[in-house]
Amino acid sequence: MSRETHIVGFQVGRETYGVPITSLHEIVRVPEITAVPDAPSYVEGVINLRGKIVSVVDLRKRFGRPAPEVHRRNRILVVEHRGRLAGMIVDSASEVLKIPESEIESAPAMMQESGLECITGLGKYQGRLIILLDVNKLLEVRETEKKETAPEPAASQKGKAAAQSATAGT
Amino acid sequence: MTDSPDDRNAELRELFFESARELLQSLNEQALRLEKAPGDAEAARTLRRVVHTLKGDAAACGYRELSELAHELEDALTLDNPATDGSVPDIALRAADLFGEMLEAYRRRKKLPSTHALRQAIAGFAPKAATAKGKKKAAKTATVRWSEYQQLAIRQALAGSKQVYQVSVQLDPECGMPIAARQMIKVTLAGLGEVLAVYPEEGAPGPRSKLEFALASEKPAEQIRAKCRIPTIALNAAVVVMRAEEPPRSIPVPVVPAVEPDPETAAAPAAELAAEPPRPLSVETTSPAPAASTDNVLRVDTAKIDNVLNLVGELILVKSMLQQALSEFSQRFPKEPLRGKFSDAMAFQARVLNDLQRSVMKIRMVPVEQLFRRFPRVVRDVSRQSGKDVNLQLKGQDTDLDKGILDTMAEPLTHLVRNAIGHGIESSEERVRNGKKPQGTLRLSAYHQGNQVVIEVSDDGHGVDVEKVRHRAIAQGLLTSEQAARLSETEILDFVFRPGFSTAEEITELSGRGVGLDVVQSVMQRLKGTVQIETEAGRRTTFRLRLPLTLAIIQALMFRVEQRLYAIPLNTVLEIARAREEDVHQVDQYEMLQLRNDVLPLLRLGRPRLPGVDSARRKFFVLVINGGDRKFGLMVDELEGEEELVIKALDDQSISTDLVSGASILGDGRVVLILNLIALLDRFARTRPDGTGSQRSGLLLSGTDRALQVQTMAGGQA
Repeated sequence: MSRETHIVGFQVGRETYGVPITSLHEIVRVPEITAVPDAPSYVEGVINLRGKIVSVVDLRKRFGRPAPEVHRRNRILVVEHRGRLAGMIVDSASEVLKIPESEIESAPAMMQESGLECITGLGKYQGRLIILLDVNKLLEVRETEKKETAPEPAASQKGKAAAQSATAGT
Repeated sequence: MTDSPDDRNAELRELFFESARELLQSLNEQALRLEKAPGDAEAARTLRRVVHTLKGDAAACGYRELSELAHELEDALTLDNPATDGSVPDIALRAADLFGEMLEAYRRRKKLPSTHALRQAIAGFAPKAATAKGKKKAAKTATVRWSEYQQLAIRQALAGSKQVYQVSVQLDPECGMPIAARQMIKVTLAGLGEVLAVYPEEGAPGPRSKLEFALASEKPAEQIRAKCRIPTIALNAAVVVMRAEEPPRSIPVPVVPAVEPDPETAAAPAAELAAEPPRPLSVETTSPAPAASTDNVLRVDTAKIDNVLNLVGELILVKSMLQQALSEFSQRFPKEPLRGKFSDAMAFQARVLNDLQRSVMKIRMVPVEQLFRRFPRVVRDVSRQSGKDVNLQLKGQDTDLDKGILDTMAEPLTHLVRNAIGHGIESSEERVRNGKKPQGTLRLSAYHQGNQVVIEVSDDGHGVDVEKVRHRAIAQGLLTSEQAARLSETEILDFVFRPGFSTAEEITELSGRGVGLDVVQSVMQRLKGTVQIETEAGRRTTFRLRLPLTLAIIQALMFRVEQRLYAIPLNTVLEIARAREEDVHQVDQYEMLQLRNDVLPLLRLGRPRLPGVDSARRKFFVLVINGGDRKFGLMVDELEGEEELVIKALDDQSISTDLVSGASILGDGRVVLILNLIALLDRFARTRPDGTGSQRSGLLLSGTDRALQVQTMAGGQA
């Protein structure tokens, strides 16, 4: 019998993604989120996780989808990243998948070249394709993005720039 | 080797640094006392005791250089009644500085500073006394210092009616392996009885040529002595019986040559030792006098206290969750008799929690004295350097302040004190010319005022010349002359806190480089405090520093902007006003509001005003903020009330912003952001108006908001 990897599967849009269960701290419902000024657009804000303040990104925005209305199935995956907790909003998350290692393929070279280093592989599970992610890489990317925009915080976000051009047009 | 850096040693060293700091402080204090009152025998004794303790502790931690230097100093102090020699305090103070440097070097594992100058000073001072005493032998003392634990062991052995010997073994200087030799002697002695204590302790340096043991044994002294004579290792051994009935002597010990470690005299120590057998038990009983009041004091890492405080904060959160649940319960079951029981228990719990929180907060509080006590020394040095006669008065030392704040205040206060002596107080001649007392007075005082602690540094010097500051500000290009003419005296005085600003004509070592006061300002901003100058030309200057009692909890005013909840420290709010959009005037891209006779610049935190008649009548609140040198108004949509907030840091890299100084969690679990007003104002002034002629608004909007704004605007246009 081959070894199995335990993967927590979650949905963003129509795709199912997976992260190793060991990289997850917990999964919680979406509480009220407090927006933080100056934050990049994909950072939703901060939540109160039992007395700890934890920043939350929206993976749906992170993957370039417009964020749909908040649904009660929505969850926050809480992970530990660089010694602190961080949250990721996903459409839903419920199952733990046991995928045999033989069923996991490494990510196609094309994906890695296109800057999707956070994808570690593709898993097959009962005929479904699971995109396996490296949580730390996923969160690190946002940090480099943040750094790039840091020098001019006031006009840092694309949204703001767009807002300016939009208002300039009026 | 001796410096084996194992964990136990590291811990020991930490303790040592902690206590050494206190020893140095009291070294300073006693030296100053002695300087003020030459001939104060008590001060002289304390001084010696402090040096002695430092020596012993340093030796125990393996800091040989420090221990040796302390030893030399102690000798110098021991030789004669040091109170008669005027140079003692000076040398002690210099030594305190050097010890401090050495400690720092040890701590950072850096190169040790040179001890040469001090050694010479000590040496130049020692012979005088030595001849006075006429007993050269006394110069070299290597006191055996049993640790408390060892003393206990010895005492217990004595109480257990065993014979306890003190065995002094002189090692053969030819012996190449002192460690092995020591081990060998120890084993030999262990064969004869129980070795209770060894000096120097394992791993600690000390007179390497001599070992002292406390041995509990039934064998006669002669036999022990014979056993200890190991060829090529031990030259000599002296065995003395320790007696139990010797009561532990009080700490001050008459100046008596304690041991004779010099190789040439070591051959016959037995007789002398016999004359003073209880030495190991009595001389070094406990910590020296300065630490006497700290018997019941526990040193705790502040991080641990903060951790407890955090937990208490969470308990408070749980309390409000329960309260909410209870009120829902009451609504659903209004007739349920359990309700009363619940609310009784809740009320009790709330009271206990309150007490708990206050107690934990109190742990973080320390008296300002800890900060003030360093200043007598600073004042002495600075006034000496500048040739001025200054009397320092301290007031309100028992005022409590958060430990973190206290530590941060040391630097700015030192700046202010140096500044007051360097710039403020005149020389004696000048003072007399101006009809003042020749001696200047510098006063440090602390007191509570409401939710704040006020620390004042005042001097009765010539005051700050407002006109001079005004001219200097113009000369340095900080102001145009028209602007300068318009500013009030207080506003002008604030310029002294600008980086690089100095009114001193000449640059001295003490002050005048223009560095200093801006440090004060920046520290105060960091601590969310304020600094103010009050001055009366020719008479006095007072710097008044206002600090929050603690950084962990603030009294906050909460409000909403665009439905979002924010908080600011309540003490920054001068007043709250209501206004309508139509009252807002647009002046050169700034929004202004006329409030009584003032024109108040407004910060619009939310979205810009939409054109239209409806919005013109929209009402909002204006929080009038005291921004140090100027007032401004924050436009907010709704007020939520005030609350005591436990501040948590918002230190996540991806969301860190200077606009937010922290966050807090409310009773219902919501997170509220605490705004950093200074950064907000700063950002507001820097942001370029975005070409539309509209206001600088939306500072608090997040990226998401802005994206939404684009959508709505684009939608509106389409």
